[in-house]
Parts: sequence; structure tokens; C-alpha cells
Amino acid sequence: MEVSLEGVRVERDGRVLLDVPSLLLRGGRTTAILGPNGSGKTTLFRVISGLDRPSAGRVLIGGLPVDVSRAAYVFQEQVFLRRSVRDNLELGLQLRAIDPAERRRRMEGAARLFGITHLMDRRADRLSGGEGRRVSLARALCLRAPLVLLDEPLEGLDRPTYSRLLHELPHLLAAFDATRIIVTHNPDEALRLAQDLVVLVDGKVHASGEKRDVATNPREPEVAEALGYFVVIQDGRGFAIPPDALRFGPGAPEFMMDVDEVIDLVATTEIAGRIGDVWVQIELPATTVKPARGDRIGLHADRVYELR
Amino acid sequence: MTELFGTDSRFVAIVLRTLVVSGTATTMAVFIGFPLGYGIARRSFRGRTLLLGFINTGMGMPPVVVGLVVWLMLVRSGPFGDLDLIYTRTAMILAQFLIATPIVVGFTTASLQALPPRLADLLSVLGAGRVRTMLILAREARLGLAATIMAAFGAIVSEVGASMVVGGNLERSTRVLTTAIVTETSRGEMDRALVLGLILLGLTFIVSLALTIVQQRR
Repeated sequence: MEVSLEGVRVERDGRVLLDVPSLLLRGGRTTAILGPNGSGKTTLFRVISGLDRPSAGRVLIGGLPVDVSRAAYVFQEQVFLRRSVRDNLELGLQLRAIDPAERRRRMEGAARLFGITHLMDRRADRLSGGEGRRVSLARALCLRAPLVLLDEPLEGLDRPTYSRLLHELPHLLAAFDATRIIVTHNPDEALRLAQDLVVLVDGKVHASGEKRDVATNPREPEVAEALGYFVVIQDGRGFAIPPDALRFGPGAPEFMMDVDEVIDLVATTEIAGRIGDVWVQIELPATTVKPARGDRIGLHADRVYELR
Repeated sequence: MTELFGTDSRFVAIVLRTLVVSGTATTMAVFIGFPLGYGIARRSFRGRTLLLGFINTGMGMPPVVVGLVVWLMLVRSGPFGDLDLIYTRTAMILAQFLIATPIVVGFTTASLQALPPRLADLLSVLGAGRVRTMLILAREARLGLAATIMAAFGAIVSEVGASMVVGGNLERSTRVLTTAIVTETSRGEMDRALVLGLILLGLTFIVSLALTIVQQRR
């Protein structure tokens, strides 16, 4: 079920928060809406979800006006009724008039899939971060809605839980036949979880399409920065460099870096400094010869994208 | 008891009258105050903070001042004098309603605002309509809402100023427990005053206990 936005504009107190003349999110896929804080991601999420109405334009889901009953949501905050996990899972199904036998079947299926069977009788509002996140996902996905919206679904989790869910989430989402939209400020999450990317900066869509196309052709500095690339100006030309593409070693250097910090991370060494005015950091294997603070070192880049 | 109050029926009438007047005023305040508090908690609008400031001031308004204002409205020469309500139980209910309503609105707003901010959004996206959302939120906030009713009932059942001013403390029609205590004290009948005071305390305790049971039910 595709999602299309036509002439959508959201204004508040005379300020334009969102201005999307046209955007199409393909059905049956996972699209990540990526952008820095304050870029209008949550506003776009609320408009697509039908929680807020745009000041102008319209949102169509499968060609029909947006309707909350055809979508399921996972909020950034963990929001539960002060009741058991079972009651929390059941509430949405009950409100959507699913019959009791089907409700039980779906709840048990979702509980098994998300590994929360043992939590069903616990108070949902007293769960740990990771448990709560699984319950939120199960609650949304057992609705079997054709559109699933996830707002920063991994925000605030501790590191082990985050890593585990980051790897599990694509498989869990794929188990449901739905169009998935994930809002995130984290490019790594966006690339891992989504097939398509929409880059939103200052309320405007700067790039959209398949993630490979967007990630390998950032074109604009705003898009490159949202993707987490270093944006470097050299000889009057702009370059976007993915952080993992920068290398320190022998050979003719492409970029010169002034080293500000050398941080020993035991297994690796982090070098932080500047290429021109742009702050960059790279990680070196612990065995590599380490530069010192104040050194000027030459770097190579495996991948560099020239900006317009 | 018969020895203290002459006949049981007079005494029972005072207790019943107290319950009817304060119970009715509390019920009315809840019916008006809950939706108002819900609206203020859920919506943002221009002047909201100022309105909450007025409501919070109203929560601490001296009952005797409310009584005076109601008296000025209802007295024969006042704007609503033709209604002939002064020195009636209706006037007392009206005054107590005005005392209780800011308490109900203020506490309801605070109770609902203490819920997770996105809970209403969640209910909305799960498919709850407006009324269902309100009922589920009220259930979630039941600890605070039950405390709201207790605070409102407690405030008006124990007030004496407004009841005295607008009710007139007429023995067979507007005398309630608090005004009866004042009367007995002024007559030097301390035993009677003390018994009435204990009954008032007991009454407040029973109502509060009933609400506490509802509040703490899992």
C-alpha cells in the first residue's frame, strides 16, 4: 500500500515546519525518513499517521485519505496503560473490533515472535527498556495494519539491547505484510532497517529513493550530512566522505588532517581532528603507527562523492 | 443521643441534609469539572496558563467570600432575587458547587497531565474515539480523580461560612452539620457540638473510605 503526499504543508505560528510538494513511498517496503533533530521528521510522521492535519495538501494511503484504522504505530516513547502486557496488546485489537478468538491467536503469535510470552502477565509500564520496546512493536504489529509507522524505534535502549534489536528488527518487520515507515536521525539505523530513504532537512525533502541511490549520490551537503558523511571543501569543490571510507596509511594522500585528539580505545585508536574546517574522526587498528596530537597526516578515501 | 438532641429525627435530618447538599454539589462539580479539566489538560490554547492560574486561585478561595457573592446574587434586591432562592438548600448547593468546581477542575487537570503525554495519541491511533479515549484516560488517572472527589467533598462538607451566609442556618430547612456545630457552640452546648463534630468526621471518613476502595482497586 503506497503512501503519497501531495502539496503537504504544515505551518505553526507563521513558521513552515514541513513543505513537501510531492512524495511517494512505495508499498510493501521499508522506508526510513532520515534527518537531523528539528528537521520535521516527527511532524511528517504525525501527518502521515493522521494524528495531525496538514495546513495544506493531502496524504493518501493506498489512494485513500489517511485513516488511523489502517495504520499501526510505534512511538519513540514507551507508552503503556498501567495494566498487564496482555491487556496492552489486547486493547488495540478490542478497539478495532477483532473477535476474541482471533485476538487471542494474534496476541499469542506476536508474543512468540517478539519473545515476550513470559511477560504477558507483567505490568507493561514497569518493563525494562528492551522489554518495553518489544511489547510496543508486538502491540503495533499484531494489529496487522497495512501501514506500520515507527518513530525512532530503537531510541534510548542500552547498547546490547540496541544491537540485538537492530539486527532482529528487519526480520520481525518482514514477518508482516505491510508498508513500513521508520523515522530516525541515525543513518546507520536507516541503512540497516530500510530499503528506501527519504532525507528531510528543514522541513523539506532533499533526497528520496532506493537507499543505494541516495547513499551513493548525495549531491547536496545537507543530504551528505544527514547520511553521516564528512563534507569537505577542497580546491573550491565539495566532497562527501563516508566515515568508514577514510584510511590512514602510505601512498599519496587525498586529504590532509590536523590531529587534535588521539584516543586509546584499547582494540582501536580514535583520531579526531580537522580536514580544513571540517571536524572528522577515524578509527585505526591498534597495531597501526599512531600519529600524535598536533601532527598533520595524509588520508585516503575508498569512496568520495562529489557534491554539486 | 436522644438525650442530647431531643429527638432522633431532627438529628438524622441534619445528617441527611448535609449529605444531600454536599453530595449534590460534589456531583454537580464533578459533572462540570471533569470534562473541563479534561479539556484543559488535553488542549493547548491561548490564555490556558492564565485560566489555570484563575482555577488554582479558585481552589483556595475562602468559602465565606463565595457565600457572600452568592448571597448578593440571590438576596431579594439582587439580580436573581426573583428566584426566591436565598436561605434555601438550593442556594447552599449553588454556593458549595462554586467552591468545589475549581478544586475538581484543578485536580482533574493535574491528574490527567501526570499521565504519559503520548497516551492519548496512542489511544487515538489504536482506534479509540473521543469518548472512549476520555474513559480510558479517566481510568488510568483514577488515583488522582478519586482524590479529586475526596478533596472536593471534604472541602464543602466541612465549610461553614458559605452555608451560614446563603442558607441562614434555619433549623428545619438549611441547618447542616457545620452550622449546627456553630449554633451549639454559641449556645455553650459543647457536648452536642462535640458529638456533631465527631459525626461530621465519621461521615467524611466513610465517603473517603468508599472512594479510597474504588481508587485502590486493581
